[in-house]
Amino acid sequence: MWVFLLRAILQRLVLLVVISMIAFSIVHLAPGEPSEVDPANPRMKPEDIARIRAAFHLDEPLSVQYVYWLRDLATGELKSFKDSQPVLPKIWRRFLNSLPLFICATLIVWSLSFPTGIQAAIQRGSPFDRTTTFVAYAFISIPGFFLSYLAIQWVVDLFNVPIIGMRTFGMENAQPAFRWMDRLWHLVVPSVMSAIAGIAILSRYVRSQMLEVVRQDYVRTARAKGLPEESVIYRHALRNALLPFVTMFGFLLPGLIGGSVIFEQIFAWPGLGRLGYEAILARDFPVILTINFIAATLTLAGTLVSDILYAVVDPRIRLQ
Amino acid sequence: MAELTHRVALEGEAELPKPETPLQEAWRIFQKDRLALSGLVVLVLLVAMAAAGKVLTEWVVVFDPATVRLPDKFLPPFSSVSQALIPAAHHPLGGLYLLGTDELGRDVFARMLQGSFVSLSIGFIAVGISVTIGIILGGLSGFYGNVKLGLLSVDTLIMRFTDIMLCFPTFFLILTVVALLPPSIYNIMIVIGLTSWMATARFVRAEFLALREQDFVVAAQALGLPEGRIIFRHMVPNAIAPVLVSATIGVAGAILTESGLSFLGFGVQPPYATWGNILASGRGFIFDAPWLFFIPGLAIFVVVLAFNLVGEGLREALNPRLRNKG
Amino acid sequence: MNVKRALILTPLILIALLLQSYFWVPSYEKQSVGNPARLRTYIEGSIADAKILNPILNADGASSRITDFVFDGLLDMDENLNLRGRLATDWSITEKAYLLARPEITLPDGSPATGERLLEVLSQAQVNGNLPELDGILLSLRLLPAGEKNETLTLVEPDEQGNPSPTSVEVTIRTPPRVEFTLSRVDQDFFTRLTPLLGAAYFQDFPYADHITVADAALREKVQPQVPALLPVAEHNPVILFHLRQDARFHDGHPFDAGDVKFTYEAIMNPRNISPRTSDYEPIKRVDILDPHTVQVTYKRLYSPAINAWMMGILPEHLLNEAAMGKEMAERGLSDAARASFGMRDSQFNRQPLGTGPFRFVEWQGDEFIHLIRNEDYWERAPEYEHYYFRVIPELLTQEVEFKSGAIDAYGVQPHQVARYKQEEAYQSFSSLGFGYSYIGYNNRNPLFADKRVRRALGMAINVDEIITYLLYGEGEQITGPYPRQTEWYNPTIPPIPYDPEGAQRLLEEVGWQRNSEGWLEKDGQVFEFNLITNNGNLIRANIMTIAQDAWKNIGVKCNTQVFEWAVFLKDFVNTGSFDAVVLGWSMGIDPDLYQIFHSSQAGPQQLNFVGYTSPEADALIVRIRQEYDLDQQRALAHRLHQVIADDQPYTFLYVGLATRVLDKKIVLVERAADGRERYEKIYPTKSGSIAFYFNKWRKLEFTPDF
Repeated sequence: MWVFLLRAILQRLVLLVVISMIAFSIVHLAPGEPSEVDPANPRMKPEDIARIRAAFHLDEPLSVQYVYWLRDLATGELKSFKDSQPVLPKIWRRFLNSLPLFICATLIVWSLSFPTGIQAAIQRGSPFDRTTTFVAYAFISIPGFFLSYLAIQWVVDLFNVPIIGMRTFGMENAQPAFRWMDRLWHLVVPSVMSAIAGIAILSRYVRSQMLEVVRQDYVRTARAKGLPEESVIYRHALRNALLPFVTMFGFLLPGLIGGSVIFEQIFAWPGLGRLGYEAILARDFPVILTINFIAATLTLAGTLVSDILYAVVDPRIRLQ
Repeated sequence: MAELTHRVALEGEAELPKPETPLQEAWRIFQKDRLALSGLVVLVLLVAMAAAGKVLTEWVVVFDPATVRLPDKFLPPFSSVSQALIPAAHHPLGGLYLLGTDELGRDVFARMLQGSFVSLSIGFIAVGISVTIGIILGGLSGFYGNVKLGLLSVDTLIMRFTDIMLCFPTFFLILTVVALLPPSIYNIMIVIGLTSWMATARFVRAEFLALREQDFVVAAQALGLPEGRIIFRHMVPNAIAPVLVSATIGVAGAILTESGLSFLGFGVQPPYATWGNILASGRGFIFDAPWLFFIPGLAIFVVVLAFNLVGEGLREALNPRLRNKG
Repeated sequence: MNVKRALILTPLILIALLLQSYFWVPSYEKQSVGNPARLRTYIEGSIADAKILNPILNADGASSRITDFVFDGLLDMDENLNLRGRLATDWSITEKAYLLARPEITLPDGSPATGERLLEVLSQAQVNGNLPELDGILLSLRLLPAGEKNETLTLVEPDEQGNPSPTSVEVTIRTPPRVEFTLSRVDQDFFTRLTPLLGAAYFQDFPYADHITVADAALREKVQPQVPALLPVAEHNPVILFHLRQDARFHDGHPFDAGDVKFTYEAIMNPRNISPRTSDYEPIKRVDILDPHTVQVTYKRLYSPAINAWMMGILPEHLLNEAAMGKEMAERGLSDAARASFGMRDSQFNRQPLGTGPFRFVEWQGDEFIHLIRNEDYWERAPEYEHYYFRVIPELLTQEVEFKSGAIDAYGVQPHQVARYKQEEAYQSFSSLGFGYSYIGYNNRNPLFADKRVRRALGMAINVDEIITYLLYGEGEQITGPYPRQTEWYNPTIPPIPYDPEGAQRLLEEVGWQRNSEGWLEKDGQVFEFNLITNNGNLIRANIMTIAQDAWKNIGVKCNTQVFEWAVFLKDFVNTGSFDAVVLGWSMGIDPDLYQIFHSSQAGPQQLNFVGYTSPEADALIVRIRQEYDLDQQRALAHRLHQVIADDQPYTFLYVGLATRVLDKKIVLVERAADGRERYEKIYPTKSGSIAFYFNKWRKLEFTPDF
């Protein structure tokens, strides 16, 4: 067990270094320079540009730059090109902004997908199954921003309340309860929008897992024993169908970073995805690379956690 | 899987009572799925439309997507051309804007037609790239997995590489690369393709690992058939079913990804029209010219849905375990 | 069944919990009408967040929007675009001029030009009134002894990758005796007026080698071009004397004085701070504090736009000096490596700025909002609005939704939206000329465009009116030359290039282009074909490109269009000059200096005259304009320069966009009478096109006033 853990962690550390090197080369070798190095600014003279490039270490060989980046990341003194502020606290603040949106969307996805998926599996071929199948595919097939635009229009016209941003302005002096509820309300639409595709995919997955399991011998045995159908489904079948989902927990966290750019952009949500997007636009290399590094770390940690979880819940698997 | 593979192995032997070939069987099941079937009809229409789009907007210009007619900007669908202001050479076919005009007075119908070819080719080429890489890497890993290259086996090497690729948040990675590289249409196809092969590689490997132990492969090896023949004649056809399903759904994903990139301003750049960038530039005019937003939006929706439904139909039809209901 | 019940109940409870929050949120009406505090809060929507809230470091529009509120400059521009004192109450411009003695040369009267002799000749001339033009200008003169000094020069040369890399060169300068003149005003022709006394050859062929030694002999050749500037025979040193406001205080109560001005200048010039404004202050020789409220700025050479640099905000010395920075480094526990490179750019000050301006900084949440509150002790009248919010909303559509519902008071409206707002009763809109213009620039080095008739013909093919009417919804005006329309430099007498495709065709025929069988223009077997490029992300530019392509097709010119990402666009095409034609825009300043954009010396790689425009007459005018301190003279020269450039057509000048602002009609100007009673006035734009000039007097009323 310990040997397995140690090996898994070591392997992942090596992977992490390789990933960061690849990312570093992609970002640095691509054409274009940080927006601070701006030759289109008439005030900038070649010597000013040389000075800025030197301050960002852009005049050094790539390998040296990589070492600088790694050193500064390790000491926590990595600075953004854009505003020279430390990168880690910056990312942490945005992470805290993204977190509620992420948690809310995840709760919606998981709590809605299971009942629909199970029901669809039980009633395979019924109108309910057909409808949910169709609706699920419809949700997967709509471009997210298209649907969000429609939703914004609709909510604002119909309910006449603000839904953009993280809060309503001018409520600084309101009761705390009102402020909290205001924050919660601002979460609703963006999280539903970013959950929609997730619900569709996950409920389909739940359905197919259930269909697999229902056909297994032990379910047949349970039925043969004369257990009530509900008990068969929700006790025996569901428990086993859940197995692969345990592993999905491990992969949840990295989703915080990548998938939300478009929704954060539309709903003016100051989250991690937008930080990354703005960093790409400004070619703020330290921020891009660090976000990428964190995403990779989370994913690798996620795979480790899911391997372990899998072994814990499924006695047939041994870690070796 | 066992029944299916047996049949393939025994294909040559004609004396058996003529069984339903797997393809026929799959088609029979597929046909029963009305949603999937209607999806297929949509796709056939779409391919026809894309072909027509290529021909009629570029080779024999019947619908001109590029002509700017500023006086005729923002005309709703089914408007007639302003005869007095527009020179006759610039009139659309029949003097009618079927789907209205955009902010430059260009014919939206012509642009959609042109866009259908570009959007579709992005989907197909991106998926083509990803499936090719996926099959090659997955196949290598599954078949030659035990071969050692120095310290590591081929399998470890390839699977770790797959892990690396999975570690990049896909959309973020695509965005980074597309934003940093010149945004040509080929870059977008290649980047989408290069970032979406991992799932294919993984289940091709799984299929290969399973197939390698099957009797007919062992037999083929025992007969001393060349490896290439074993892989391509016997193993790939048997592993292709899930690939086909994921490829179909992958095309849908690529079209959506392109529209998402367009939304952020990194999609295919003019002069190419894609549904994604027509939609992305139309969103600014949602109050002035809603058709610029709804037409491409709905078109993307219908087409992506069709791909997904066909994919789902294929999955059901090709999955032997789910065949016999119950 | 518990499991089943839980599975069904959980989502229901979650949904109910989420939806009930709706009832706690104030509707748009409640926020805007039922809330008196909202009327005293101004919320502005912006696409982009600020980057760095420090007036000497920021270079983006969003940041300077905020720093303009938090900081004051010494000067600013008033309603009529004339300089006006802010932290400076008044100022005067005089000149010190210097002339080197040249003993090796004989003066027209036969004597050698030693220092003593020069002084004698010149004093006599002044006393005798031999040079009547100098009456009232030349106040006094004296002789300065010879001297020696060492200086470090920076040479910037491209390295292997083509990136600029600097090297330092030590030089020793031995200055001969000099005559110092004190002048009552700046006069760029002062030395020319002395020619009768000194002889025409006096300013030529100075033996630099006798006076300047380069430490590293290998670099002597490369330093050569910089040498004349190190030891000019005749030197102009304009001097500005600022009298500072005595009642201004920083937001923390610390009084503002001359030390802050000098500190701000030094902070900009400190290489560690990497200020993007260094070049504005580079012409300054010294800043001297004469007393706590008087500052004297001496310049190295004639450069009249230099005074505009003093419109930049003044920093508080007591929060940013060495001691303060040391304290911050200690508090943050930085490592030695980080300390070594720590500059003002790294300071937390840039995220919580503090100045003397009309608003104090409160809070900044990145990519969400910046909150300012009014400065009750502002030395001028405190603003009417109590709060100012700068809200970041990255999408145009959501901005519009928020604006219509009253959640934000202003945002950067798009031309097509303005057309809609103008029809609505509730809004007032202001269209005024901006400082940016759009153009199509032709690579003048390309033989295809070498003839100015060709450039003119290409311009004549484009219907600018149509672009303005349909693309900009009328929110633009055609321009004929390189200056913003509302400035005095713009020459209003120059007629625009007419839209005349037939004329364009005739002009091209004159040059020798004939239509071939396919309808394209052809000369010597070559089709008239080129690439027109622009950057992505600017819809209007992309549309102009499409329109130009279409228009040129009609006169038989084959144009291929391409859009590139900004960084690539600059690096691969513009900076290297490897393009045929570009659609671009300039955002101009208020000064008439066109040196960087149109002077022939600025046509190298990475420089801004990337179209490679060369004209000896324009060069001479450009240099004279930037050395002229007299407004009337400057105006006349600028008008002439405008004429020259309009004749040459290095660009097809298209239009200057109207900056349009839309506001709720309830927002008005509040004027207070002496007895405290309020009077309301409609907001109006000033000559510069800004409606925000009187922003401090703006407020939102509960009712819609009738103007």
